[in-house]
Amino acid sequence: MKNMKKWIAILLSMVMVLSLSACGDKASSTGGSGGGSSSGGSSSAGGNSDGGSGEKIVVWTLANDLKQFAERYTAETGREVEVVVFDSADYSTKIMQTLGTQSSDVDIFVGEPQMLPNFFEAGFCADLSELDSEVSSRLVDYTYEAGKDEDGVLRAISYQATPGSVIYRCDLALEVFGTDDPAVIGEKFSSFDTIVETAALLHEKGYSIFGDTGALRWFSISASPWVRNGEIIVDQDRLDYFDAAVELYQKEYVAFAPEWSAAWYASMAGPLPMNAGWSALDEVDASNPETQVFSYVMPSWGALIVRDNAADNIGKFGVCSGVCSFFGGGTFLTVNDYSKHKSEAIDFIRYCTLNDDTAQWWLEASKGDVVANKAVLEANKDYENPSFNNQHTYEFYMAELEHVDYSLITGYDDTCKEAFGAAIVSVQEGKQTKEEALQEFYMVVTTQYPELRIPDDAPIN
Amino acid sequence: MSARIRNKSMKSLLYLFLILLSVLCFTPFWLMIVNSTRTGNEIMTSFSLLPGSNLAANWKLVDDNMNLGRGFLNSMFLAICNTALVSYFSALTAYGLAFYKFRGAKVLFTTLLIFMMVPSQLSLLGFYDLCNKLHMIDSYWPLILPSVASPATVFFLRQYILSVMPRSVLEAPRVDGAGELKIFHQIALPIMAPGIATMAIGAFIGSWNNYLIPMMLINTPEKRPLPVMVAELSAVRDITTNLGATYLVVAISVVPIMIAFCFFSKYIISGISAGSVKE
Repeated sequence: MKNMKKWIAILLSMVMVLSLSACGDKASSTGGSGGGSSSGGSSSAGGNSDGGSGEKIVVWTLANDLKQFAERYTAETGREVEVVVFDSADYSTKIMQTLGTQSSDVDIFVGEPQMLPNFFEAGFCADLSELDSEVSSRLVDYTYEAGKDEDGVLRAISYQATPGSVIYRCDLALEVFGTDDPAVIGEKFSSFDTIVETAALLHEKGYSIFGDTGALRWFSISASPWVRNGEIIVDQDRLDYFDAAVELYQKEYVAFAPEWSAAWYASMAGPLPMNAGWSALDEVDASNPETQVFSYVMPSWGALIVRDNAADNIGKFGVCSGVCSFFGGGTFLTVNDYSKHKSEAIDFIRYCTLNDDTAQWWLEASKGDVVANKAVLEANKDYENPSFNNQHTYEFYMAELEHVDYSLITGYDDTCKEAFGAAIVSVQEGKQTKEEALQEFYMVVTTQYPELRIPDDAPIN
Repeated sequence: MSARIRNKSMKSLLYLFLILLSVLCFTPFWLMIVNSTRTGNEIMTSFSLLPGSNLAANWKLVDDNMNLGRGFLNSMFLAICNTALVSYFSALTAYGLAFYKFRGAKVLFTTLLIFMMVPSQLSLLGFYDLCNKLHMIDSYWPLILPSVASPATVFFLRQYILSVMPRSVLEAPRVDGAGELKIFHQIALPIMAPGIATMAIGAFIGSWNNYLIPMMLINTPEKRPLPVMVAELSAVRDITTNLGATYLVVAISVVPIMIAFCFFSKYIISGISAGSVKE
């Protein structure tokens, strides 16, 4: 009984002390952020409405990049920007939830290309038409297209472009093909047929063309969109992709080290045993023959991942084009339509995306990110990238960006790609025939999107 | 003689089993601690039981990207408030449901049981709207106040007090003229203490680990509790650069849970045998 009292007393006093200290810190932190008017915990929506000229804009994002932009912006203009990073897994929910209540707590938020249509449709993104002419003339075309809603109104702008590339090992290319010229190697990746041939050549020398057949998925939008006029399109290119993926798998031309697995990361730095799969490297049967992964198909940010994990192989990689030009990911900035600081927010977006100095600074600060600003890319065209065999990487990516065809992108892409990938896997593993797998693919997509039709000339009966 | 030997071998077998069990329980923790001293790349590509040499760099990454102390204070504040509220109010409700006979008591109790079965994630959307209407977004109130009503704890404590405290215990103080609240505070509460402690551990850990609701409701970085900060840390850069640092924060963040466990476990163990009526 006595103990109990003591226990409660301790608990209560701890609560009191902590609540006091928490309040104290809160007051000082808002006070420190320039003319804070509210210090209690009761303020919520009014949290950023503290008057004065130094109004703070709030940015919600998915990675640290914009923090660096914001620091630079504050240093140059004196205007304060608060950047809040969210984990990507919950980010969409958080945005939908918060902006669904027309909250003005956030001024700028970001979106990846596949999230944007949802945000546009929900009416969260303010009209950025005032920047339209500048964006269309000065930024990479596909980023301009991706930032427009269905009616062609500009609502999101990216500072980044994410062109795709085949990142390959120059030293292995020299050994197998006698050259590491990106143009020649690019030829070897120019169609699904040549990829299989190339894979066979590499296999003879004991190398694997990719970590895993999943690498081919980036080329799944090469000639036609996944959906056209309400019909799901599986054309000859897609069937070629299907066959190539199955052939590479069944003939063991790939290393079976799936993207993002430990083995995949390790393959950038050196040889690894075949069939590492998803397990940690120590568990892999060491008696498996060793192999080296020849190439990775990734957007430009993926090239940086390869570089950062290359260890002793750094400088031995080159970039070339593949079956088709593509883009993947990227961070688009958009202004909350309910924001109370729209003009300040637009000013920050303009600073991040349309300012040449910022773009040049980011290109250097990020050590190789491809910016969306065409003039800055042009200016860095002759930069010899030491991490990529002194190749002119920006020149290469610029050319790739020219060929990105945004008209092939639809809102159904993610679902279609995923279902098609699943169909490929089931054939690779011998669970289904190609016919059955394709039938299932159509079924999965039409179940999710009942408005889509299976065309009469579909490759199933 | 043979019985003693059998007894001994039984015992050593038992000990062996227990040792195995504790190794099994401890290994993940050890791996977490080891991983917090290794680089992301090492963690991704290999497995080790010996600490690496990257602790300082990991710490630097943590220190650069998040205010760990702040997150700790926030989480601690929330966890203690929640634990205190859950403990006291659930005990009060359970006591009432167990010992007072009033119209609708059964209905109330059944309603409670039904609400126990509704997962909190389900009501998230409505809860968010409610908080928004009450202007409580980005404040701690919606993270603390709802713990006043926690049906599962009430249910447990009601069953508990019915089993450890016979109704007759109430007769003496009533005859002596004690008020009902006084009876609860001075007699029922101490008797329930072990049960409350058990529930308090759960409440503390639950609040400490709570991620979804704070993530939804809190917008200001300084107000975020630890789990939300950890999620942010793992998002700031490519996973290979962050992994070690993330492990480090997670390793640090389980320390209070362990302390809480040590603090309360005494009560749990004593609670299993203790009761108001001694045989």
